Parts: sequence; structure tokens; C-alpha cells
Amino acid sequence: MEHWQISMLIMVLYLAIALIVGVLAGRGTNKASLEEFTTAGRGLGLFLTWFLMGGAIFSAFSFLGAPGWAFTRGAPAFYILAYLAFSLLPWYILGPKIGRIGRKFNLYSLVGFLQTRFRSKALGILVGFIAFFACIQYLATQLRGMAIIFNIMTEGRIAFWFGALVAYAIVVTYVATGGLRAAAWSDVFQGALMITVSWVVGIMIVKKMHGTTSEMFSKLAAADPDFLRIGVEGSTMSTTAFTSVILVSVIGFLMWPHMFARSYSSNAVTIKKTVIAYPLFALLIIPLLLAGFAAVGVVDIAAVGASDQILPYLITTFLSLPGWLYGLVGAAALAAAMSSADVITHSASMEFTDGVIKNMFPNLSDKVTLLIMRSAVVLIGALAYCIAVFGGQGVVALLLGAYGSIIQFTPGVLSALYWKRVTTKGVFTGIIVGFAVNLYFQLFASTTPFEIHPGLIGLIANTIVMVGISYVTKPDTSSVVESYVNDQKKTKQTKDHSMTPDASIDTYQS
Amino acid sequence: MSVRSFRTYYIIISTLLFSTVLFPIFTIGNKAYPLILGLPYSFFWIILWIVITFIAVLILYFIDPDKEEV
Repeated sequence: MEHWQISMLIMVLYLAIALIVGVLAGRGTNKASLEEFTTAGRGLGLFLTWFLMGGAIFSAFSFLGAPGWAFTRGAPAFYILAYLAFSLLPWYILGPKIGRIGRKFNLYSLVGFLQTRFRSKALGILVGFIAFFACIQYLATQLRGMAIIFNIMTEGRIAFWFGALVAYAIVVTYVATGGLRAAAWSDVFQGALMITVSWVVGIMIVKKMHGTTSEMFSKLAAADPDFLRIGVEGSTMSTTAFTSVILVSVIGFLMWPHMFARSYSSNAVTIKKTVIAYPLFALLIIPLLLAGFAAVGVVDIAAVGASDQILPYLITTFLSLPGWLYGLVGAAALAAAMSSADVITHSASMEFTDGVIKNMFPNLSDKVTLLIMRSAVVLIGALAYCIAVFGGQGVVALLLGAYGSIIQFTPGVLSALYWKRVTTKGVFTGIIVGFAVNLYFQLFASTTPFEIHPGLIGLIANTIVMVGISYVTKPDTSSVVESYVNDQKKTKQTKDHSMTPDASIDTYQS
Repeated sequence: MSVRSFRTYYIIISTLLFSTVLFPIFTIGNKAYPLILGLPYSFFWIILWIVITFIAVLILYFIDPDKEEV
């Protein structure tokens, strides 16, 4: 058998295993239960949560985008490491509080969280739509990644459009059949695969091409020290751009619906222990950055095509590795892309159903809602597929674009939690203004002031408008405000409520 | 320590740690030389602060008055 055949065989095998693990995990739980589909019965253990979070670290973005940035841009690629490490810190404070409120009001989405506090259908629909479109962009990133992997690992024999289609079909199948539980168990399997492969391959590439990292970076620094610095003459990113990109990513991180929903499905201890471990998870991507640096000065960008393709390119073209190793790397990269794709698809469908569908057609039964949620999974996939195949942006650019929209939820969420004086009109107008400003700078303006990320400019406008309008509108005096802002963990009843699903989940695990 | 003052400490400490990878403080780490542990100084600086953050949050967790909450 030729190399590409072996590698394709391994990737197909991987996809089959992922599907079996996913579908098996979905069995045995009550399929018809809306509660189970959305938050896995509110009782995900520490182990599962760690892997869900670990799975979130590795995505097509870290597997392909990070080496690509290290290769073409140098030091700015460190932003990926920095933002991943610090992005979860606010969760230590926010997560348990959001979780308690979620249990009190029986919430499972970001839309539900904001709508319960601000009691506005229009706001629910707005948030639902923005989350929907940001998630599609995020998903497109992953699909693009998977397509690149299929394409390069089979030496061009699987066309870009076809590869994305196959992988997506599998993601849709197991998200739609198993819900979050399926996604979580697949992530355990995928997490192990991704971590092993990225370290083995990253170290192997550096060793084969340069010997040690010292030799590699000595050569790089001697050739161009500014390549390893930010914001100096000759470096590829300004200091404000670097800082604002990290800020946008860290501030936006928890506002992703799939991250936000983790607060509901994990208890406070799990949340805190996850926050502790997260900076170390971020270090797992170091070898992927090293692999990107290894190619600098050795490989010509013109030969690679796009910078995203550098890692698979190195493995297939530059190093003469055996076919089975290609396949394994392909499988790990697919795992990275799919584990992110499944959770994002799942929560996009949830936000869309909760925000847009339920507000427009309020009298649907649970059964119909679940059906719509599952159909939304298919629709979201189809849209993301179109962007991935016809859009033509790099994976980092796609993801940063999506962050610009998602970050606009931050002022609303924070003031829902901590600021009594905020009003519905303030939050609504703030989100619209922030979203519009971000969109303007992303699509129509060629540059932004001081090279600040468009999302951050939108966020500033959003916050100012929200605070301003809140002060000129009538304060909200309902009891909901009180129970959000002054939430203490005093409600015994709430705890009992969360214990019931916990017990059944444990039975299932053992 | 009360839950409230713990929260204040947590926010201040994590913000300070986070600011080490942002400009202007990152200016101190923003150089290629010297190479430490085989990595450029800028790369090493970020990894160093990530490890310090891990240790700091671990310590914060142990003094968290509220850590047994469910």
C-alpha cells in the first residue's frame, strides 16, 4: 500500500471509532429528555469537564493556525499561548455564580441567562442571532481545518469540499443523537490522541530539522532577532494589535455559548479545579508552535500555499515519515477540529432554538423543540460548510472575526451579574452598537485606530452606550434583578434540585 | 477571610498576572536574547508567567473560604 492509502485508512478508522464512541455514549441515557440533551443532566464530573476544556484548547486553530502563525509571523504567535492560558481565570469567580443562577431558574443557554434577567423577547432574538452567526464562523474554521487535513494527508486525493463534507456528516450524527454527553466522551478519547500526537510530532520535527530548540532559535535569532519580538521595526505585529488581540480573546472566551453553558453543567468545585489546571493545558500547544518555527528559513511559503498548511506540509513533504504516522497525525488533527466542532454546533443549535425559535413561536412542546434543535444542527453545519469551502479566509482570521461578535455579550452578562442599575434598553442598544461598530471595522474600514482589534472598539462603544442609556432609562425594580445580583448560595432547595440528576449520572458512569 | 475579600484578592492578583503578557509590561520580556532553556527570551517569559499563574491560582484555591461550595 502507498503512504496516502495507509494514512487514509487510519483517518477513516479514527472517524469510525469517534462515531462509535459518540453513539455508544448517547445510548443508555434518556434520549427524549431535553434536559439531558442540553446540559447532560447538570452533572458532568471533574474528569469529563477537564477533557471538555482540554478539547477546547486543541482545535483546528491550534493545530493548523498556531504553527502557521509561528511560521509566517513569528513572535505574534505567542498570543495564542497567552490567551489560552489566561482565558479561563475569570471563570473562577463568574462560573459558580452563573451556575447557581442557572439552577435556580433552570437555564441552559446564554440566551436564557440574559432573557430571564432582562425579560425582553427582542433581546433574546438578538442574542440568539448573533451567537448563531458567530458559531457558524467558528465552525467554519474547524471545517476548513478538517478539509485541509484530508487534502494534504492523502496527497491531494481527497478534494477539499469532500473532506469537509465527510467529517461534518459524522459530527452532525453524533451531536444530533447523543447531545453533550456524547460530545464529552468523544473528547476524552480525542484529548488523549491529540496530546500524544502533537508532542511526538512537534519534537520529531524540531529534532530532524534542527537538532535542538537552542540550535533552531539561535539560527532564527541570528538571521532576524526582530522576528522573535513584537512591535519593533521589522516585526509583523504592533504592540497595540498584540495586546488587543489577547484582550479580545480572553474577554470573549467565556461568552462563547459552549463555554457559558459549562457553568450550568459543572458544580463550583469542578469549575475551580478546572480553572487551576487550565494554564497548564495551554502549555500543551508549545510543540505545535515549535513545529511552525522549525519551518522558518527552511521552507518557502510559496511552496506551502497557505500558512495554515505548514504542519501537514512539513509532515508529508519535508520529513519522510511512514504512512501510518501521517494517518495518526491526520486523525489527531481531525480529532482537534471535531471536538471543537461538536460542542460549538451543539450550543449554536441551542442558542438559536432558545433565542430565535422559542421567542417567535412560544407554544412549542418539548418534543418539537428538541426536534428543531436537532434540525438546527444540520442547518448550522450546512451554512458553516459553505463559508469553509467558498469563504477562503485563513483559520486564525476566521476565528478572530467571530470573537469580535461574541465579545459584545460581555458587558450585558457582567452587568446582569453585578450591576443593579443596568436596564434592558441599555443592554439591547449596547449590543447593537457594539456589533455594528465591530462589523463596520471588520468589513468596511481598511484599518482601525492604533491597529486595535475591531471587536475591542465595538466593546468600548457597547459599554459606553449601555451605561449611558441605563442611566437615562427607568431602573428595573423586579425581584429577578435582586436574585441575579445578590445571589448567595443560601437556597437549600437549589442544591437538592441539582442533586437528583447527579445521582443518575453517577449510576450511568459506573 | 471573607468570601468578598477573597474575591477582591483573586481579581487583583489574576489581573496583575495577566498583565505580564500584555504591553506595556510585556516590553520587559519582548526580546529574542538571551535564549533560556532553548527558547527565545520572549517565548520563555510567557511560559514562565503561565507557570507562575498556575501556582498562584493553586495557592488561591487553598485559601478560598468558599471552596467546598457545591
